[in-house]
Amino acid sequence: MSAPPGQANPVRAFVAQLWGSVFRHGLPTNDKVAARTALTNFFLHIHPVRVKKSAVRVSYTLCLGGLSFFLFILLTITGLFLMFYYIPSVDSAYQNVKDLQFVAVFGDIIRNMHRWAAHAMVITVWLHMARVFYQGAYKPPREFNWVIGTFLLLITLLLSFSGYLLPWDQLAIWAITVGTNMAKYAPIVGPYTRYLLLGGDQVAQGALIRFYVLHVIALPLIGFLLMVVHFWRVRKDGFTGGL
Amino acid sequence: MATVVEGGRDPRGAVTPRPQAPISGPELASTPLVIRRREDEETVVTFPYLVWREFLAGLAAFVFLMLVSIQVNAPLLQRANTSITPNPAKAPWYFVGLQELLERFPPIMAGVAFPSFVIIFMILTPYLDRNPSRRPQDRKVAIVLFTIYVCLAVAFVVIGEFFRGEAFNWDWTLILGHPGLSSPV
Ligand code: HEM
Repeated sequence: MSAPPGQANPVRAFVAQLWGSVFRHGLPTNDKVAARTALTNFFLHIHPVRVKKSAVRVSYTLCLGGLSFFLFILLTITGLFLMFYYIPSVDSAYQNVKDLQFVAVFGDIIRNMHRWAAHAMVITVWLHMARVFYQGAYKPPREFNWVIGTFLLLITLLLSFSGYLLPWDQLAIWAITVGTNMAKYAPIVGPYTRYLLLGGDQVAQGALIRFYVLHVIALPLIGFLLMVVHFWRVRKDGFTGGL
Repeated sequence: MATVVEGGRDPRGAVTPRPQAPISGPELASTPLVIRRREDEETVVTFPYLVWREFLAGLAAFVFLMLVSIQVNAPLLQRANTSITPNPAKAPWYFVGLQELLERFPPIMAGVAFPSFVIIFMILTPYLDRNPSRRPQDRKVAIVLFTIYVCLAVAFVVIGEFFRGEAFNWDWTLILGHPGLSSPV
């Protein structure tokens, strides 16, 4: 501990007060204060207070789970901006996206980021699954977190797929046509599933509004919920740590 | 005004003291904060060590994506037109492996049986694998099986994406730079 209160340099004292008012604890100058800061902070308490040294090493998680989550947040934020412009109607959707790409200030960057982050997330989630497998990190007591993870992978794919239709260009409708045609092959339920997804027999307005609602509300909400449980389990089950 | 004491402004009820033994600041700091199942490995405080690394990883990812987004535009083709079918019409890349499967196997296998099998098998993995060891040398079978799956999945996506041209026929010219065929119209 450094200078007692009163004798501290006023700027430092002010910073400490400011810090303390936000984090409810002093500057993290030692482990105990740092631990209490984490314990009593809404956002930080997603973490355990202490973690195994081996779990902090980049070589252990390769940052993949964390990166997947980061991309999810980034997609939520950029998606929000896109929603300011985008109207899910076959009459306007394409023009909205075109305006975003060529007219709106920073619209192109936001759209590009949303697109590339979506691709990246499919990759990071998949690689995260692979690292969990190769490290045997799904073994007891983490079996169920692997199951939750499986659903997260499916949600990630569906999120990406539902977003694919929204620009309403040739790439979009034909990729979705091909994709939803695959659903047809399921015995009995196949054609119904496709009809349900598309709200019709063709990729048209019915499909656009369904995909939009799934993409901006339903799937992100389910995904977020699953992530919260996933992280909670990571905390409670503890990190697997090094081999 | 609350006194600022480094090492801990007294939490305003932040950590609820156990009712039997009210604890004050300094004592609180010395009580075990988490119940740990095993104390066999050295630990560090999450904050700031782990949080700092997460911040750096996030920053790196953000900068990388920003640079890519400045350089490379997301695709935007002609307005959707149901009367003009692009040739080939491809699913998004992560489903193009499935499309490739459909090219090779009857639809009921490729479109239904295989994907269901993969999903169900994946969900069951932790319950089927009864081997308690996490050491790679003890898990040869699991690792080999999973690696085969990974290679197949990647191969099918790569083939579907880069080796399938018009009418989804095999086409070497795609990767060799045939003009006009490298992206669906
Ligand atoms: C949206 C998708 C996902 C997100 C955001 C996510 C996030 C995370 C994070 C942040 C961790 C902590 C360790 C790390 O960073 O690697 C983790 C651990 C874990 N994840 Fe995921 N995950 C996702 C999908 C999956 C999938 C697809 C699986 C497997 C099928 C999975 C299974 C696990 C397991 C078993 C752990 C515990 C690993 C350990 O203790 O070493 N997760 N996840």
